Formats: sequence, structure tokens, C-alpha cells
Amino acid sequence: PADARGAAQARATCSPAPVTDVARLCVCDLLVAQCDVNCCCDPDCSPGEFSLFTACSVPVVIGDSHLCRQKAAVYSLDVEANPPERIFQLIDQVNPSIFCIRATNYKQALYLKTPEMPTPENFDGLLDEFGSAAFSAEPESWNVDTDPPDANETQRYEYGLPIQTEDAFLRLPSPVVSSWCSDANPAGFLVNQATKCIRSVSVEKCESIQALNMLFYINSSILAFVFQVKISVQSIVFQSLDGMRTSLRGADGLRLPLILEELCLNVVLGVSYQITYTDTGEIIEAAAAFVLGAITKETLSVQQSFQISFTQVDTKPVPLSGSPGYVVGLPVRAGFSTQGYPFPAQSLTNNHSQLSILQSTPSQDCLAAQGARAPVLFGQNMISGCKLRITAAMKCQPLAQTLLDVLKGQSFPEYVASFGNSQAQDVLDWVPITHLHISEQRISNTLQSSCQIPVSFGIEVKWTKYGSLVNPQARIVNVTATLTTTTLKQLPSGRERTIPITSSVVFTDISSPAEPGYKAWPTINIKLPFDFFYPFV
Amino acid sequence: NSSSQLSSLPLQILFYVNGIYYILYFLATLAMIVYKSQVFSYPDDFLAPDLAVLFVMAMLEVPRLYLGCKGNLREEEAALGLSLGLTVGSVVLSVYLLAWQTYVLWADVVLTAVLLCAYGLESGLKVMAIAAFVS
Repeated sequence: PADARGAAQARATCSPAPVTDVARLCVCDLLVAQCDVNCCCDPDCSPGEFSLFTACSVPVVIGDSHLCRQKAAVYSLDVEANPPERIFQLIDQVNPSIFCIRATNYKQALYLKTPEMPTPENFDGLLDEFGSAAFSAEPESWNVDTDPPDANETQRYEYGLPIQTEDAFLRLPSPVVSSWCSDANPAGFLVNQATKCIRSVSVEKCESIQALNMLFYINSSILAFVFQVKISVQSIVFQSLDGMRTSLRGADGLRLPLILEELCLNVVLGVSYQITYTDTGEIIEAAAAFVLGAITKETLSVQQSFQISFTQVDTKPVPLSGSPGYVVGLPVRAGFSTQGYPFPAQSLTNNHSQLSILQSTPSQDCLAAQGARAPVLFGQNMISGCKLRITAAMKCQPLAQTLLDVLKGQSFPEYVASFGNSQAQDVLDWVPITHLHISEQRISNTLQSSCQIPVSFGIEVKWTKYGSLVNPQARIVNVTATLTTTTLKQLPSGRERTIPITSSVVFTDISSPAEPGYKAWPTINIKLPFDFFYPFV
Repeated sequence: NSSSQLSSLPLQILFYVNGIYYILYFLATLAMIVYKSQVFSYPDDFLAPDLAVLFVMAMLEVPRLYLGCKGNLREEEAALGLSLGLTVGSVVLSVYLLAWQTYVLWADVVLTAVLLCAYGLESGLKVMAIAAFVS
């Protein structure tokens, strides 16, 4: 609206005038309407608060020290007085040097320049001066190579260059300014990106909105300078309306949106590009994995997520969680040993075996939780749980097994990497997970060996700081998984009980206090020359 | 034969001293401009006029002193008059360096003030010499 724009313009052109009066300037006055500690120039402090200060953090407020003569505000604390009081003096500071500035005829000599405020009139000029390809409004003006390519020079992609396709660039829609998707974001070579944005949809127009169509993302093939690389469909995962994802094996055909009753199916909710490149900078393969979903009549907008990752040909990338120490927030790497323990020649595989913890769902029902798990991130304690509704008809043994699956997951790993970049072949770098079992048994039932159901699963990860004092690396030393079980009391028929099931991860720092190491003391090597006692020896 | 000699001795001494002093003044001012451009923010469109004034003043000084010496020794009032005119130009330029330079340092003020005093004294002596030659 025009009035909002006018108001914004008025606000933009009136930037606050700089304060140049030394008596009013206070650098340590950071809290508004509150007294800053040891800030003698703070106008919000009362004399009582001044008496509590120990020193003045800003003793002198002065302009440029090169000036021959200028006013200076001097703040000091008189600790002799009872109570201590602040002294403020405005003095004339004289610079005795012969190279002091007597006068300047250049206004901005001693002050920072006020930046030019962009207005609709000067915006284009400022964009020409300071803008670059990243801020260009016209996608057509993006120039990959401004010089005509040399015939002898082999063309290849370099880091950050937009990946060219038949029509313009490989697009990775991303939010610009607001959360709405903008299709003008090119994917850069070797720049791994993951973006999420919102797109407005409607069931009636879902077949005509291009960005909801699989073809939009795989239609144009990537230009690899020598030949064209077609983007193949790697896999398709279908997401139902309640968020459940199923992957259809062998589904790599094209599925276009189609309107069925009041739903629109096969709407693109996520694309994950996987580009394979060689070490000479050529793209040789491109694959896209889709997540297709459905929208209802009430859906006004969907969130689309896009991701692109680059893999070098003939390598299998393993994401590291730190190098070498774990980085807070990255997943804890775990794995299995393919041969029996404790044979030394073991190899640990990391396929799909991440240390994970039960993820709480909104429904909070343990039995309905369909394997939603959250990865355990280093340094982040987590607790999650669900509620188990026990009826009289439930049998204990299958229930215990189900709960164990819910708490531990499908494949609970056996080893955890002690460093973030531990290789699978270095067996000694992997820490075995110790399992503890605590059973809460009721004293009255000790004679009966009733079956126990797990109610709590806690993983305690003990880590230490390893390495140099100035750059300590996090190293996992011990992982203990404690399973607490309790006896299931038989309920009279018709009654039901709800018990909470919890799962937690705790990271404990067990670093011993650091001892600084000193270089070896220099030794004094005194030796007399061999002919010192010449005439006698 | 000092009674018939109209050339002014003090003026000649002053020309000699002025010449030496001006060389020192030129080098000192140039060095200070270089110092200012390193220590302070001295954009090119402010640096150019200051340097131009300094070099123009140097270029004016040579004919000014030459004409003055020649006129004084040969007792020619025309050359001395021309030298006086050039002195006016030099005075204007040194007033610029004293007051309207981008950065005026205390050393600038001292040196230029001495130069202006010399110019003033010179101008007075030249006028007296011209009066003596004409009459």
C-alpha cells in the first residue's frame, strides 16, 4: 500500500544524527534505562549506584586525539570520599605534538561517513555500484563465463558456479526475504544446500502449477560442457496426509499430479538432488529423489524442501561428525561389527545404523508410534517418551518385545565412534556400548518370575576433552545403555492403566582437569675442550 | 660608490634567504602531505588541489626570485614590478595552504606564517626599491 511505502521511506531517509558532544557520549552505556556496572558516564546511574563502582571502565571520552585542542570529558571515581562519588570534568585537552591538526576543511575527516540510504530513486545506481551476480534481479544477466571460452582450455565447473541446464540453471527453490518459494535460486557446483520454503497451492490449480510437478525438476538436462546429463529419478517416497512416508520399491517412473475427488495426488513436497562429479570438474550423473504427497481442498500452502549434494565418482561419502573431536549438534556415529567380538579384524558398517532415540509423537501412544526416531546429536541431552495403555487382554511377552523395539529401534548399534572422524577399519577407535539392566521388582512378587516390560531406556554418553589445552577435542569414552524394566501386574478384566515410557540421552563431561605441558627445560651442556689441561693431559 | 647605488641590499639578502627557505618549506610541506595521506583519510579529490597548489607555488617562486634579483641588481623597475605581481600570487597560494588546506597541522601554520612574513617584508622592500628607481 502506498502509505506504508511512504512511511517506510520517511523512516529510511531520516537516520539518527551522530552524537558528537563528548559530554553526552557514553560508550559503555549499553542497557537502556538501566545502570551499567562501572560505567561512570551512564546517565541512568544514580549517585548511590556510583558509590558501588570500583573503577571507571571509560575514563576519558575524547574526539580524535590528533586534534590540537579539543574538549574532553574525564570521568573518575573519588574513592577517598565517603561514600565514593563520581567526578565529571569537562577539560580542554591540548596535544603538544607539532603535527597536531589545527583545522580541517574536510567535513568527514574525523567522522565516519553516513551511508547513503537506499530510496526508490537511487536504488538502481546503488545496485550497479555494489551489486554483483548474487543480487542481480534479472536471471538472464547471470554470466557464467564473461570471456568467450578458449578452444584449447577444457571447460569444467568450478566451485560455486551455477549448474547450467538446457534452459537457464538448475533451480533449487528457496525462500528469499520471506518464506515463500522463489524459483530463481541456482544450485552452485559443489555447494551442498538444503532449503525449505512455502508454496501456495490449491486443489483446482494443482495440475497447472509447475512447481508441484515432477517434470519441472527433471525436465531439462544438465549441460556438462561435453555432453548433456539427464536427471534420472532415483526414488519416490509417498507421504500420506497424516505425514506417514512409504517408499515404493521400483517406483522410478514419472508421476504427474492428478486430481482425485477432493484431493490432488502426486504433489512434489521434496526433491533431493544427488550429483556425481569427477575430479576434473565434470558432472557425469544426476539423480533426483522425490517425496510426493497429497493436498486437500483446505490446504492453502505446502512446505517444500529441497536439497542438493555432490559426491565424487567412485567414492562413498561418510558424513563426519567432527574432525577429530565431535562437534556439538552433529550425530553420534555408531555401527555394528560384522565379525564376532573380540576378533581384531573387524569392520564396522555404518549403514543406517545411527544411534537414535525414540521420538515423541503428538499422539503419545507407544504402540502407534511407527518407528519415528530422532538421531542422537552429540552434546544435546534429549528425553522423549510415550504413554502405554495397558488393557487386561494384553499378553506380557509380546508387549515386552514391542516395547523393546519401540525404545531401542530396529537396529540398535553395538559400537560408537570415539572420534567424529573414526574410520571403520580402526577398531580401537570404537567404543562398545555397555548394556545395563535394572529391574524394578516388587518385593511381594520376588518368588514369582513374572515377565518384565521395559519402561525406561537411558543412554549415558561419557566424553572427555582430548588433546591440546587451547583446542580441546571431544572424545567419547564410554556409552552405557540402561534398560529399566518393571513387572506387569495383571489387571482385572475391563480395567486399563496408562504407564509412561521414557527414553533419554545424557552427555556427561568426565574430562580430568587439564595439566599444561611445558617444553623440556633447556639443559646446560658444558664440556671443557679436550685439550684444556694441555701440558698435563 | 654607494651613494649612486639604488639597489637595495636588504632586499637582495632577503631574496637569497627566501630561496633557501622556500626549498626547505617545499620539501617539508610535501613530506607532511604524504604523512597526512597515510595517517588520515585523504581522498583523491581533496589531495589533488592541495598538491596542485604546492607545485604551482613552487613554479611561481623561481621566476619571482629571478625577476626580483635581476630587477634589483639592474635597477629595473619593470622586472621588480613583475616580481611584486608574482609575489601577490604566491601570497594567495600560501594563504590557501595556511587556512584552506584539507588538514592544517600546527607545523603547517608555523612554516607558512614564516613564509608569509618573508613575503610581506619582501613586498615592502620591493615597493621602496621601485620608488627609489623611479624617482
